[in-house]
Amino acid sequence: MTGVAISAAPKARAVRKPLDKTGLLFAVLLSVAIIFPLLVVITWSFTEIWRYPNVLPQQFGFRFWDQTMGRADVWAALTLSLRLSFMVTLLSAAICLPAAYAFARMDFPGRSLLFFSFLAGHAFPKFGLLIAIAAIFLQLGLIGTFWGVVIIQLVGTLLFMIWIPVAAFSAVDRRMEEAARDVGAGPLRVFWSVTLPQAGPTIAAAVLLTFVGTFYEVEGAWLIGAPGIRTMPVLMISFINNQIVVQYGAVLSVILWVPSFVALIFARKVINGGSFARGFGG
Amino acid sequence: MTDSAGPTAQRLLGSGADTGNSRRPVGLLLVAVPVVLMAWLIIWPIISAVLRTVWRADDTGAHRFDLSTYAFFFSDQYSLNNLGITLWTTGMCAALLLMICLPIAIYLRFATGRLAGYVQALAIFPMFVPSIILAFAFIRVLGPNGMVDILLNAVGLPKIDTPYLTPWGPVIGLVWDNIPLTVLILLAGLGAVPNAAIDAARDVGAQKWQVFWYIILPRIGNSILVAISFSVLGIFSAFTLPYVLGPASPEMMGPFMQRTFRDLYDPLNALTQAVITFGFCIVFGLFYVRSVARNQGK
Repeated sequence: MTGVAISAAPKARAVRKPLDKTGLLFAVLLSVAIIFPLLVVITWSFTEIWRYPNVLPQQFGFRFWDQTMGRADVWAALTLSLRLSFMVTLLSAAICLPAAYAFARMDFPGRSLLFFSFLAGHAFPKFGLLIAIAAIFLQLGLIGTFWGVVIIQLVGTLLFMIWIPVAAFSAVDRRMEEAARDVGAGPLRVFWSVTLPQAGPTIAAAVLLTFVGTFYEVEGAWLIGAPGIRTMPVLMISFINNQIVVQYGAVLSVILWVPSFVALIFARKVINGGSFARGFGG
Repeated sequence: MTDSAGPTAQRLLGSGADTGNSRRPVGLLLVAVPVVLMAWLIIWPIISAVLRTVWRADDTGAHRFDLSTYAFFFSDQYSLNNLGITLWTTGMCAALLLMICLPIAIYLRFATGRLAGYVQALAIFPMFVPSIILAFAFIRVLGPNGMVDILLNAVGLPKIDTPYLTPWGPVIGLVWDNIPLTVLILLAGLGAVPNAAIDAARDVGAQKWQVFWYIILPRIGNSILVAISFSVLGIFSAFTLPYVLGPASPEMMGPFMQRTFRDLYDPLNALTQAVITFGFCIVFGLFYVRSVARNQGK
């Protein structure tokens, strides 16, 4: 499998290659494994009748969209999920972005140690850590509360909300800041007019990823929030487990996927940028 | 694309800070809140979990060293079965991930053009599919009377043995879920393999597998270990996919801990199980953190 790829190495020669057979094979296999299941779900959401063993649904329609959107539990879960995600993202940005700026630009005692200590959360299996946190929340009476879920989801966002913005602040061209200062700009003016516009897009991507990641967070919400706090993904689990009408799950999947799709469009550059993979240790 | 990634990341903490006049405690003030939050909700719970499971109050109320919950876990057949299925799932996923992602990453490292772009986009795509949607799609495709059954039936073949609610369910789901980051991490590692080394090996007549075995593999060993460590840490205590797709018994450690904590109201044994998962993952965790720190600190 590796062979064809290697022989295509130099770009100049690759142009003359008639057909990228390995690539074609990967493209077909990945399309079947990754795109096909999602197409099935999308088809189900627009299906009114689909009896086994018909290859295609007998009747398409929007009936189940109306029914799903008419369910009170769906609306309650959606508004709760949005409230949670906004709150967590806001708090996370408020405490992490100043910290990221400090890590990138200031020198203070214990800077490296504190910076790398945020990795601690990634050194342990996540659900085990959640159980350990839940045991503490149990004593504090935070189980089943909105703020309990906010705090546990906030902890999950710390690493990325600090590390990605630190990379962004570090990548800002210092000479431009110095030039601005030389012509008399104050520190705030420099930050607002020079630093922020350059670091902004990456930071915005980090904020967006935090929001989307929080929106889909299941484990903390399930462990800490149940039964009082039912977010969209948690509701989805009960839809799957209780095997009620297939289309409810399908419609909910399509609705649930919208934020992810937005993130896909906006965050692609950051992820393909390589420093993202490096953040994971690549 | 991977080559250009280096400088940004490497500068992270290197020469970023102003020296001299800005060495002041205001920095500490700015990082205080996240650091306190991290200490309170990551470091402390771990220490507390270990302490509470080994240093317990006995009947008279006096605290003493007591390993009885661990003794129970390792003598209870049900717990051991759960641990066994977790180890099996994790090992199987790690092996499958390598077998799937290494060829893709090597292909992407050397290929150019639109087809390669499409393959890369597809390999990254699962990152943008929440695992709960994946679980639903899995059931609709591979579940009983799912799309695969429909298609097989249409061409006159028998139905598949559905992996839904069997140990293979979580394996398939978790592999699918972990493909993007594994490919990205391996690809970042492959970016460090110089074209010159490969060209030189080929010029002296090396076969393709020789190039892979002697030139590429030794240079990406570290990335492979990082990718495996990362997925092991995620898979060992995975909750959502095993809970939705896996069998009820034996269950993986994630659902097991959740059930012990929430359904059996038994925080002590849940904490014991959590500490045991920490123990099994500690090597991977330390290695992973060391690699990330080294990469960032360069």
